[in-house]
Amino acid sequence: MPVPPQTKQITDTVWEIPPTYKEGMKVPARLYATKKLLEGMDQGVIEQVTNVASLPGIQRYSYAMADAHWGYGFPIGGVAAFDPEQGVISPGGIGFDINCGMRLIRTNLRFAEVKPKVKELVDMLFQLVPTGVGVKGFVKVNQSSFEDVMRWGVKWCGENGYGWEEDAKMVEEGGFIKGADPAKVSRQASSRGIQQLGTLGSGNHYLEIQVVDPGRFFDPKMGKNFGLVDEDQVVVMIHCGSRGFGHQIGSDYLRVFDGAMKRYGITVRDRELACAPFSSKEGQDYYGAMVCAANMAFANRQVIVHRVREAFQKVFRRDPEALDMHIIYDVCHNIAKVERHALDGATRDLVVHRKGATRSFGPGHPDIPSRYRQMGQPVIIGGSMETGSYLLVGTAKAMTDTFGSTAHGSGRTMSRTAARREISGEALQKSMEKRGIYVKAATYDGLAEEAGVAYKDISEVVETMHSAGISLKVAALRPIGNIKG
Amino acid sequence: MKRPAYRFLPNVALADVAFSARGDTPEALFEACAAALTEVMVDRRGVRRVTTREVSVRARDIDTLLYDFLTELIVLKDVDSLLFKTFAAHISHDQRRMECTMSGETIDRKRHRLRNDVKAVTMHLFGVSHERGVWRATVVLDI
Repeated sequence: MPVPPQTKQITDTVWEIPPTYKEGMKVPARLYATKKLLEGMDQGVIEQVTNVASLPGIQRYSYAMADAHWGYGFPIGGVAAFDPEQGVISPGGIGFDINCGMRLIRTNLRFAEVKPKVKELVDMLFQLVPTGVGVKGFVKVNQSSFEDVMRWGVKWCGENGYGWEEDAKMVEEGGFIKGADPAKVSRQASSRGIQQLGTLGSGNHYLEIQVVDPGRFFDPKMGKNFGLVDEDQVVVMIHCGSRGFGHQIGSDYLRVFDGAMKRYGITVRDRELACAPFSSKEGQDYYGAMVCAANMAFANRQVIVHRVREAFQKVFRRDPEALDMHIIYDVCHNIAKVERHALDGATRDLVVHRKGATRSFGPGHPDIPSRYRQMGQPVIIGGSMETGSYLLVGTAKAMTDTFGSTAHGSGRTMSRTAARREISGEALQKSMEKRGIYVKAATYDGLAEEAGVAYKDISEVVETMHSAGISLKVAALRPIGNIKG
Repeated sequence: MKRPAYRFLPNVALADVAFSARGDTPEALFEACAAALTEVMVDRRGVRRVTTREVSVRARDIDTLLYDFLTELIVLKDVDSLLFKTFAAHISHDQRRMECTMSGETIDRKRHRLRNDVKAVTMHLFGVSHERGVWRATVVLDI
């Protein structure tokens, strides 16, 4: 992609496009990338990150992280913070899959113990965790208890037998965000979501068995704090969100905002940037509904953890407690939250949108679980099913530079349609198995779309964020088994 | 004469799926969009016409009418596990109301070649146009 000539290089990994680039930009755009990643970014990223810079009440910068790619409205990999009084909230800055996120669970197993059983384990997980189009969840709830899920997230799960007492503490926001308002959720959204508690979904969602990659355990001391003690230690990563429930809330309010903008005198460059003042009725209604979806997503990942523990228990014939299957952490990467940040010499509440971006709070932040508070929050970066993922840690620099945010994954370079045309799902499955990754997918087409070649080099994305100092490498995690929708 | 048609756009919104559709009438356009959306979720050739559903949508303009109609198809997939093979739409003269009769069946994971679980219809590049007698729409789906 031709980089706009006005682009200024701030450091080796930070680039800035000034407000003169496009009429209406209120703040500069900042892109986190090596020169190679920047030149490889698609045109959509530049257009979208500068469009976001034009939204009312945006503070300091519109950001694109190193994994940024062309989304709808905001780029995926986008971060923007808004003043709660003068600024807006935008469903397009969150994504339809509200609180799509990552969860990482540790075990005390080593690769050598799991390798002979990996097929049995993957097949068991595939049987226990519904994946793909149109599947129903394994947790049956009525409307009243579904509203409790909306309000209480992981806390509801714990009270209903889906988890351990400590689990909620190891989830961003303690497993539920305050401010859920089920009255602002449409009947259609509830009817989509009520049957999907305990489903993985499709697209890039997955459940993966991984090992701490030998030779790439970068910070064993920090890893130990998170319960990673050895190379070859086996962990489980879950990537999914609020399913049809969140998707419908996004659709419902996109329509509402599309109609309401005129009333507030807001014009946007892309209808998908539809927004409303955060303090308006529409803004507050959406926030209350969005929090319901965020809490449902926390609960969805929690009930899946319950099934993961069951699968390990069945295959290894040991209690999950004996297998040390504690949650390392759970992060949201499609969300807007009210957070306190230092800005212009004061500490202020801001509405921070992260769309395909992860919170990366540094040492000492009160929102980090007490066990990790001194070192910073764990940051989980999910890669493609072929190339692996990373565990990082949040930093003080992220707090000052990016409103406590970093990247979320590797970022696509090839469209789904192109990937399906160029790659055979069956051939890919066989080739992965030869390389020691046993994958079971609901469809071969879906598998082909998620091939590693369709994504950026995750290591370069992670190195960029590490060099920029907004999240630091702890361990690379290599996949050995994967189920996907 | 109705001539439904759509094509997928491989270089738009990389993580998602985009298509453009056309029709000689608004009805043909809506039917083409419904077919394209369904094709993203399943190989429609394998879907049988076992059950019929009628949907009725009202909206403030033709753009929103299409948005709501496609969203309704996604809802029916999630809530009733229904996927459709054929669509017969009727749109009112003021383009604010539509009825569509659709034939299809419930998802059969053994028999159907399922593809992506579409999350939502986005408004990125979204819009219906009518130029020189041809109705067109661009749709980006969140996957």
